Amino acid sequence: MKFILQLAVKNLSRYKRRTIITAVAIAVGLMMYIIVDSILRGASLESMRNLRWYETASLRVYAEGYWEDRAFLPLENSIEDPASIMSLVEGEQGVATVRTTFAAEMILYSDDFGENGNMNVKVTAIDPTQDFEVYRFEDTLVEGRFLEPGEMDGLLLGSWFAEDIGAEVGYWVTLLTRGKGGFYEAFDMQIVGIVNCPNPNVNRTLIMMDIAAADTYLGMENSVTSIDILLPEKTDLELAKVAIQAKLPEGLEVFTWKDLAQDYLAIVGAKQGGTGMILFLVFIIAAVGVSNTMLMAMYERMRELGMMRALGMRDRDILLSFLFEAGGIGLIGSVVGIALGSLVNIYLVNTGFDFGFMFRNMDIGFRISSVMRGAWSLSTILKAFSAGIFLSMLVAVLPIRRALKLDIPTCLHHQ
Amino acid sequence: MSIIRIEKVSRNYKTGATLVKALKKVSLTIEAGEFLSIAGPSGSGKTTLLNLIGCIDELDEGEIFINDTAISSMDKIEKTAFRRNNLGFIFQTYNLIPVLSAYENVSFVLSLLDISEREIKRRTYEVLMEVGLEGMEDRRPSKLSGGQQQRVAIARALVKNPQIILADEPTANLDSKTGAEILKLMKRMNEKYHTTFLFSTHDQMIMDYASRLVQLHDGAIVSDERRR
Repeated sequence: MKFILQLAVKNLSRYKRRTIITAVAIAVGLMMYIIVDSILRGASLESMRNLRWYETASLRVYAEGYWEDRAFLPLENSIEDPASIMSLVEGEQGVATVRTTFAAEMILYSDDFGENGNMNVKVTAIDPTQDFEVYRFEDTLVEGRFLEPGEMDGLLLGSWFAEDIGAEVGYWVTLLTRGKGGFYEAFDMQIVGIVNCPNPNVNRTLIMMDIAAADTYLGMENSVTSIDILLPEKTDLELAKVAIQAKLPEGLEVFTWKDLAQDYLAIVGAKQGGTGMILFLVFIIAAVGVSNTMLMAMYERMRELGMMRALGMRDRDILLSFLFEAGGIGLIGSVVGIALGSLVNIYLVNTGFDFGFMFRNMDIGFRISSVMRGAWSLSTILKAFSAGIFLSMLVAVLPIRRALKLDIPTCLHHQ
Repeated sequence: MSIIRIEKVSRNYKTGATLVKALKKVSLTIEAGEFLSIAGPSGSGKTTLLNLIGCIDELDEGEIFINDTAISSMDKIEKTAFRRNNLGFIFQTYNLIPVLSAYENVSFVLSLLDISEREIKRRTYEVLMEVGLEGMEDRRPSKLSGGQQQRVAIARALVKNPQIILADEPTANLDSKTGAEILKLMKRMNEKYHTTFLFSTHDQMIMDYASRLVQLHDGAIVSDERRR
């Protein structure tokens, strides 16, 4: 075994240039793997955080039937007596807030906006005293002020939405909607603040008003469309969902953020599949490099191979020697690839790339509005390391076995 | 006492659609300790005969007995073990491993056997000294002359004290003076260790060193002459 290892190590230095080129191919492949995985992992972590912090919270309670009709934002399927439900929910180490979300037509006036116009919007009515316990809009205010409790005519807009419609603090709009029971209602609202939310899906559409005002205008009679719950980060949401569901009276349903963000999870799944395909191709290129290197090494050393077999060296020992050699190339490539990947990753994790110019006008599914950061993953690095070595050895098996199938005189007289 | 008994051995090769009869019912008995040259022109079957005795080729007909063991009765693994324990090879092109030193090229043969590190070291240095390579143990083949490389190959064949050493045109790549030196060295080793040497050649000067000369032509033995 000692000789086999010694021979493999010495043979690595035999064709330095070829070893380096092959190792570089592996290193580039692994570096790409580490970088892409880091970006995807970072984007995914940040998206999930931004989903929970600005869009879905951890869990949400809806009245039965709301989920099926959620596209229409039905006020009829609302939660009666939310205060009693809140007290049940908050026993589970979480904090909760009530929200009412409704569809409306927003009418813009030429006095403020330069021309008259209207558009369909989704309005979220919040409880300003409690909402900031669950969601993190507190740090996102860029202009004006937050809503005040009981404020009847104040609106808060997302900065991208405000930019898109040319809105500024102080402008007036009219919201035209149908209240609970189907009556029409129109109310004038003034923009009091603009928030720059890191979740682009929210920032692109956000319109918030006070829940007491919404209750009055929509005739909700103290009912709300949802109760949003924030639980500590490491809580098992499926277990919490079951526990909370068990406490709730009939006619209410609990959903986790994953249930609510199915669109996001589907997009991320598809993206990871696509990226996996690209990485697979990168690995194939590296594998072909190693395979080719070993094939050339076999043909150049055919007589040597014949000599070793003639002298009584077992085929499995010869195979092992060449496999160690291929593994050595993989080891060099893996170490270099991980070192380079980690160096790039330090920058990705600490600084990241600002894709704000792209995300502003394009929805790529991730809930990130500007800087995409990486994330460390020890398991990815270990996987990359072992895959680099293992794959190098694996792809070397075929050319070695082919050469070992030749008879010894053919090997000895190979030109 | 015969160490090798060859009985009506034939070997055919196919070259495209043509069947080449490399050996035709060759019979030969070789005594232990002989220094035997197999001579003949190119294509006469010298190398084929050595390959068959060396268990690295398959015979089509007949049988070869080494120490009364029929080699066709051995499977691939047994043949590998047999070669490892009983046979030494010297090749025309030396076939040394270029990344290993002279010492490592010789000692690796012993590392295939169940021998202690200490014993490997002792025997390797001893045999390298025997072949006149003392002080050159650490040199790689590229730093040795052709003659010196063939000495390393002889040391590699001798180091495990095999019963038989097979040398296929061992001097063909050397000038006549160096070739003669190598032959003298092989002869000396034959006399010292009583190892049976079988070597192929078509060089008349080399044949003169043999104590027995077997001439092949078109795959058949045409003469078998004891020289001295």
